[in-house]
Amino acid sequence: MNENTFFDYLNLFWFTILPYVALFTFFIATIQRYRGEAFTYSSLSSQFLENKVHFWAMVPFHYGILTVLFGHLIGFLCPAELLAWNSEPIRLYIFEVTGFIAAIFTLVGLFNIIIRRTSNARIKMVTTTADWVVIAIIVFQVITGVYTAVFHSWGSSWFASSMAPYLWSIVQFSPEIAYVTPLPIMVKLHIISAFVIVTLFPFTRLVHVLVVPNPYLWRKPQVVRWYWNRKKIRTTSFKIDRK
Amino acid sequence: MRHFKLESLASKLNWRFAGISSVFALFLCTSLLAQVPTEYYKQNCVSCHTIGGGRLTGPDLKDLSKRQDREWLVNWLMDPEGILKSGDPYAVKMQKESRGAVMTRSPGMTKSLAIALLDLIDEESKLEKSQFAGSQISDRPLLQEDIDEGLALFMGSTKLKNGGPSCVSCHVVNSLDGLSGGRLGLNLTRAYARLEGRKGLSAWLISPPSKMMNPIYKKYPIDEEEILPLVAFLKNETEKDAPENTSAMINFLLFGIGGAVLLLVLFDLIWNKRFRAVREPMVKGN
Repeated sequence: MNENTFFDYLNLFWFTILPYVALFTFFIATIQRYRGEAFTYSSLSSQFLENKVHFWAMVPFHYGILTVLFGHLIGFLCPAELLAWNSEPIRLYIFEVTGFIAAIFTLVGLFNIIIRRTSNARIKMVTTTADWVVIAIIVFQVITGVYTAVFHSWGSSWFASSMAPYLWSIVQFSPEIAYVTPLPIMVKLHIISAFVIVTLFPFTRLVHVLVVPNPYLWRKPQVVRWYWNRKKIRTTSFKIDRK
Repeated sequence: MRHFKLESLASKLNWRFAGISSVFALFLCTSLLAQVPTEYYKQNCVSCHTIGGGRLTGPDLKDLSKRQDREWLVNWLMDPEGILKSGDPYAVKMQKESRGAVMTRSPGMTKSLAIALLDLIDEESKLEKSQFAGSQISDRPLLQEDIDEGLALFMGSTKLKNGGPSCVSCHVVNSLDGLSGGRLGLNLTRAYARLEGRKGLSAWLISPPSKMMNPIYKKYPIDEEEILPLVAFLKNETEKDAPENTSAMINFLLFGIGGAVLLLVLFDLIWNKRFRAVREPMVKGN
């Protein structure tokens, strides 16, 4: 096998096979988990155990990551409109700088998440291996994203013209990997780790994204007191005894 | 019940089979399309070669078969880099004439496609004027209006007619101020010189051979009327040869970090009365 063929196969694996493995796993496993273990659909919040660093970890992380994800979603759903917006340099710079601020915000949040989970004894007790895997892959994803934003700008424009057609070709079961195979290595790693996150999604606490308790924003406050073993309920193997 | 389950399984398998078949059918269609030599030539060869229009980056291919035998040419198309590495004297001579530019193996090249392409070149060579004689870009002098129009097209303030992304999405030229241009692709300040002037640059813009640009501009080609202004703008950039704007990236970084710090301060102020703890203040109070 010559060098070109080897890289062709690698590209085929990462950008054609992996996306379908990720999407198939995502849909089947999330539905299966919801049907079988609906009560495990939770962020497994540890806010009751530690609330100070939690603020500087969770607030920047969530505001940052949601803004960045929203930017990617706009590029995917409305590429032509995004290119039209970016046609004025000042608007392009505003969009890019906003996304970059959000990315730095996410990194600050992640840094504090790691500090909190390694320095607080109570939080250490409720941190599982799956949590560390999730943190590691998200750190990798955000760092490759920040690198891309700085060294391979302007992502919002080339995402709309390269990544959006590629992603739509995946959705339409007609993968056109020619859009992504010439991209720089850091951008490719960013794409691959995104598919890895989608694959891991149903097996980790990331599932809480699907059950965001939006009614909390407008419902009346209520007091909740638990009378069961807190440590036990935070393990993924916990099941409610239905006898 | 068992029969029903089996039937349902069979139906599911059929759907899967249909799905897999569709994907393979699409792949097959794509590869068959790539085999049409005229289309293939347009997408992969025109930016460096004409047939009877003179040299671009690569040699004029008119009467190619009279210069080299068919077997050598097929092997060359299949693996140009390999032949160059082997030290073949004709390949080395061609590379020297192309000022060091190396031809790479075109995507999806097969022996049958190489033969079909050579047949096409032979047929086109017989014509008085081949369809691949090169772009019909005007030789008129370039004006300031052309440069201004080219700048607007480069920056995207004038949209490309066929909907392609503007150059600034991925490219930068040194004269841009502010946060400057994109850095996914090459710095185009000296592109006019690199592609050896109006003809070479025009051919590149008509059908960009770069792996990154090719799939995009194959769908949304740059209109012929837009080529000349872009050439004028890039020629002007080469002539100005302004020093690189090194502060753009640092400014971008500073904007990001500064913005994030400001936002953190703002969040602290907004949630100043946030719930911090229950037990700890009570213990401290005692």
